[in-house]
Amino acid sequence: MAEVVPVREGTFAEDAKGAKLLGSKCRSCGQLFFPQAKFCFNCFGKSMDEVVLSRRGKLYSYTIGHMPSTHFQPPYAVGFIDMPEGIRVFAPLKMTEDKPFKVGMDMEVVIEELWQENDKKVIGYKFRPV
Amino acid sequence: MREVAVIGVGQSMFGKLPEKSVAELGAEAVSAALTDAGISPRDIQVAYASRLYNVWCTAQDILKEVGIRNIEMVNVENTCAGGSTAFRGIWKEIADGHYDIGIAVGVESMTTSPIAGKLIPPEKNDLDGHLGMTMPAMFAMVARRQMEEQGATPEDFAQISVKNHRHACLNPYAQYKKEFTVEEVLNSRMICEPITLLMCCPNTDGAAAAILCSKDIAKKYTTKPIRVIASTLLSGDYKEFQKDITASPLLGKISNMAYEMAGCGPEDIDLVEMHDAFANEEMLRYEDLGLCKRGEGVGLIRSGATEIGGKIPVNPSGGLLSLGHPLSASGIRTICEIVLHLRNQAGARQTPNAKVGLAHMHGGVVARMEHGIVAGIHILAR
Repeated sequence: MAEVVPVREGTFAEDAKGAKLLGSKCRSCGQLFFPQAKFCFNCFGKSMDEVVLSRRGKLYSYTIGHMPSTHFQPPYAVGFIDMPEGIRVFAPLKMTEDKPFKVGMDMEVVIEELWQENDKKVIGYKFRPV
Repeated sequence: MREVAVIGVGQSMFGKLPEKSVAELGAEAVSAALTDAGISPRDIQVAYASRLYNVWCTAQDILKEVGIRNIEMVNVENTCAGGSTAFRGIWKEIADGHYDIGIAVGVESMTTSPIAGKLIPPEKNDLDGHLGMTMPAMFAMVARRQMEEQGATPEDFAQISVKNHRHACLNPYAQYKKEFTVEEVLNSRMICEPITLLMCCPNTDGAAAAILCSKDIAKKYTTKPIRVIASTLLSGDYKEFQKDITASPLLGKISNMAYEMAGCGPEDIDLVEMHDAFANEEMLRYEDLGLCKRGEGVGLIRSGATEIGGKIPVNPSGGLLSLGHPLSASGIRTICEIVLHLRNQAGARQTPNAKVGLAHMHGGVVARMEHGIVAGIHILAR
């Protein structure tokens, strides 16, 4: 069986309830970051706490690509999701038959295989319409 | 600080020219600028060159073609703003009194670069890039917000491409001298919805050069020195601090710096050359550069004000969309176009009675940072 590797360590996790994204929050000024930041880009504070982001957010913008990107063959969808915590996440989107993308729609995070690379399965986060 | 003037400009043909070396392309532009200035290669005291792909002694390689050697030469890279960076480098050398006369040259051979005919690949550490954030995808997501928030339509974006292609028909150096209709732009191949092929700048080979000198000695060479009244270059912020993708935080800052330095406002600008890598980007920059208020970019393109003959012509050269975009050349090429208009030498593209012009260049993708991480703005006056 092919080895499974995350697209980036420390960006997501899964528990019994499902997928979750991991950001970080500055202990001094409260600024949030995704992906996690080593120090605070706002106040230069060095103490950062890991935070679990909500599973759901709202679609801020999206596009459907019709030209291959580095890892995706067309058609593929990508977009920005505004999370309730006040941070915007860029992610691949899952296209569904019955729910066309619309700005402002509710989206939820899922973890799945993104692509294969050197006999490894690369897994990561995507969002899909709720 | 001394006042600095442009006394010579030149560019090569723009197009798909894989048979031409970087030295040949660059030398075409440098020779044209030397002829335009009416000076000898011996008079050049300092040179800056910019190039993004296969950087290797670009200035030395180009300038040997015209006999320029044994002077200080600096090679720079700053993505699409590389040309602006080289121009500003020479401006600083002269303004600060290190030298009296110098040349800036920008060159790119896109068709022989590793990205020829491809999207620019993401850096290894660029997570979003690997997850599918290509340049057209980013501008497509911006376009979606322009449609949501500002009532823009794909027809509006197409109209910008139509305008710039029409302008390029008047420019003998342009890569594409062909008019298109709004329908033809909309029906061209879909790249990233709603961005179609004819809303994207092409792969282009080409070079541009400018010769600058201190204002005091400019009159020795020309009766029409063009003053550089603002030279600015700035890098942007972390992406977390950009709330609205239809407004560039970086451009908000740098355009204020440029207008303050020039001692004028956007209402005083007679024409603009800007980074229109994607058609909808031009609409964004109308607002970022203060040519209209926030949310009024749609109205500005619909009014026809940004066409040649309009109130504020934008990209009379044809812009990146149809004149072409050799990445590191564009920052100097836009300045060349402004200089021609300010001297009343722009032929059929001429902006009537142009006194002040603005050249903007902008680009670069860096993981974690705002999209379009570096920008340069120069304001020139006759």
